Amino acid sequence: MTPLAPAQHPWSQRRPAAPLLILLPALVLLPLAAVLPAVVHGGGWELIGQFAFAAITPSGDPVLLASALRGLGVTVAVALLGWAVSLALGLVGGVLSSRTVWRTMAGRVWPAGALRRLLAIPRSIHELLWGLLLLQLVGLQPAVAVLAIAIPYAALVARVVSDLLDALPTAPLEALRAAGAAAPAALLTALGPALLPGVFSYGGYRLECALRSATLLGVFGLGGLGTELRLTLQSLQFHELWTCLWLLLAVMLLLEGLVRLLRRRWGMPGRFGLAAGAVGSRGRELLLATLALLPVLLLLALALGVNPAALLVVQALPPFHPDWPAVLALPWGAMVASTLLLTLLAAALAVGVAPLLLLLVAPWPWGRLLLQGLWALGRLWPPPLTALLLLFVLKPGLITAALALAFHNLGVLGRLLLEAADAAGGGAEAALRCAGCGPRLALFYGRFSGLSRSYLAYGAYRADVILRETVVVGLVGAAGLGTLLLEALSSFAVDQLLALVAVYAALTLLGEDLSDRVRHRLLAA
Amino acid sequence: MAWPALSVSWPASEIPPFFLMSSPFRRPVLRLRERSTAVLAGLAMLLLPAVLPPVTPAAAPLLPGAQAQQKLLRISAIPDQKPETLNRLYPLLANELSRSLGVPVKYVPVTDYTAAVSAFRRGDLDLVWFGALTGVQARLQKPGARVIAQRDIDASFQSFFIANTASGIKPIANQKGLSVLKGKRFTFGSESSTSGRLMPQYFLGQAGVRLSDFAGGAPGFSSSHDATIALVQSGAYQAGVVNEEVWQSNLSSGKTDPKKVIVIWRTPGYANYHWLAQPNLDQRFGKGFTARLQSTFVNLRASNPQQAQILDLFGAKRFIPATPRLYDPIEKVGREIGKIR
Repeated sequence: MTPLAPAQHPWSQRRPAAPLLILLPALVLLPLAAVLPAVVHGGGWELIGQFAFAAITPSGDPVLLASALRGLGVTVAVALLGWAVSLALGLVGGVLSSRTVWRTMAGRVWPAGALRRLLAIPRSIHELLWGLLLLQLVGLQPAVAVLAIAIPYAALVARVVSDLLDALPTAPLEALRAAGAAAPAALLTALGPALLPGVFSYGGYRLECALRSATLLGVFGLGGLGTELRLTLQSLQFHELWTCLWLLLAVMLLLEGLVRLLRRRWGMPGRFGLAAGAVGSRGRELLLATLALLPVLLLLALALGVNPAALLVVQALPPFHPDWPAVLALPWGAMVASTLLLTLLAAALAVGVAPLLLLLVAPWPWGRLLLQGLWALGRLWPPPLTALLLLFVLKPGLITAALALAFHNLGVLGRLLLEAADAAGGGAEAALRCAGCGPRLALFYGRFSGLSRSYLAYGAYRADVILRETVVVGLVGAAGLGTLLLEALSSFAVDQLLALVAVYAALTLLGEDLSDRVRHRLLAA
Repeated sequence: MAWPALSVSWPASEIPPFFLMSSPFRRPVLRLRERSTAVLAGLAMLLLPAVLPPVTPAAAPLLPGAQAQQKLLRISAIPDQKPETLNRLYPLLANELSRSLGVPVKYVPVTDYTAAVSAFRRGDLDLVWFGALTGVQARLQKPGARVIAQRDIDASFQSFFIANTASGIKPIANQKGLSVLKGKRFTFGSESSTSGRLMPQYFLGQAGVRLSDFAGGAPGFSSSHDATIALVQSGAYQAGVVNEEVWQSNLSSGKTDPKKVIVIWRTPGYANYHWLAQPNLDQRFGKGFTARLQSTFVNLRASNPQQAQILDLFGAKRFIPATPRLYDPIEKVGREIGKIR
């Protein structure tokens, strides 16, 4: 191919139009449709039927209800505690890794960068891995699940807080400093109030994530309703399963509703979208809510039996006979490749299918409700359990694992897309409708075209999350590093375990860097 | 990562009055409402310790370190059966042990094989009903642990290979015949199960079947024997392997449909489940405690209605003393397959 000057390059003129951009990831459906028939074995359609039927006939056994409610309590408590600890630690970490803060306080910025890089390590390890590792380190105690959520989440919050801080305009800060204010006071006054809306908005989102993480940790035996979900699924007690599931769904929707309400009431910006919110004007309410949360958290910690002192007692580790040549001989290349393929497939599916489905159901008033219900289930239902369910009709392997991950993330992405579309205002869409456009085209050009770049940018971030999450679908077999991880855990192969964690961390750090670049390009264009 | 929010910036004019009020650059002209909020908040913080019940270490159900629970015998079991069965079985057993040994006994449910082994290593559990493989793993991680007893049926335990009738797999005459399973959808039980994974994998290997020979390039892990039967019967997997005991009980309870799922081969016998106790029970509960523990199990009799119920739930006629040597072959197989290192 003859090299062309950038301006004449054919691709630069043939960039897909903005509205089309949002549908590009959905192209992955074509190859998927081609290979899916080979993956279906269809042996267990009867079981799928029973599972679906049980949704409308959940068990009302009081013994089960009592144990499900107890499990739910544990899950919610773990989520709340993990979230609160992560928020507190994350705020401190965020301030400590902010360039602006270091420049103002000490006149140099390199410690901020160093700390930021250091915080990348806890962040790169999925909460499930933290949970399983901590289980080996400090034993089976309620604090393990809380800590497993708090550690990676704190690092995430710290990153976001420092990004937010460094993006704030510095003029007020400089003005205060010039007027002679001391550095800490100037920072607090100039940046504190401006930072809050972003932090609260993100904090609300993290709380929703924490509930999902707590459920997932339960699936792997760390207590709570997740454990019940897995046990009932594995013993095929679908009626009992749905009792637990409906309870969890109710709590999740309640929590999401509450977060949405508070976000609107306190005037926080949405997570992504075009309308930036105004700064909250109900500071007193906010402060009181925060204060009221403290005793609630302490009571929860007591009820759960969290004992911080017990965390310090590191117990005997399994005997360690490292066999590094054997570890090196593992098929790393193939495992990493299948992990990456799994990530891409799941991410493209989740990102692409959400707008496609919204377009498909656009003409029908109930279609949207149906989708919202489906997405809520997707968010709620941990991916390893989707994978187990899919195994009834699909062969184990990469496709099955990807579908399970995609379904979960579709639930998250779909809701965000819908929220952003609603917040974008319907002027353009209404105008198109009046001009005689069909409902699908009006939605497509009227709403989606403005959102497509920020949606895809969010999708790039989500791909990064999915890469971390691939570890949870190891149950399905043949799904890259996750499968080996579960095997290494049950063999107490510490050397393999260490190598796997290191590879996972390296992969997610690389993935994070890549998705950052993609996102910046998308948002810059 | 980073949070993909659009760049967040707020004009200074939008800074809320509340925060300006509390800033150090204005005179603190707190209006009445702000002041009352501040007082209320301060009071709330002050009263906080009062509303909290005192923190007691007993609040933690599973404290690491045996010294924390000197006089409580904590028993548990690997979760290889339906949880509802275990939850019925163990309170009964805890009562019986407590009565016979004169110490409080508590059943601690554990949801994962690996977690059971780890908890035993750390001394969080005193007496655990392990499978052969998990028992050996636990003993290697906790030197000095005492093998107490096994059931009469554990001396020569068998696994059954089963198949869905629609799969076309027929019963096979000898071990070499296991090669018919190549290319089939096949599931084990749990990764760490002796009868649902370890020994079957060993016998499969002797017949030349590797794990990558199954459809999809890997076997499934159903996690329990009951699930294996249900999945093979449904056709989700064409074949699988279960322990003889669970197969018999599913067959006699009518849960298994012999028209849909059949046994194709029975493995040779091997030693399986056993009770494993911490090495320090005599120091904690008094001299001879471990011996009394063993005789309590061995002396469970079907003639006593209470004990009959326990034996029945365990699927045993009686318990017999067991020694570590019985499990040497399991350890050897475990090392060959890589489950013991």
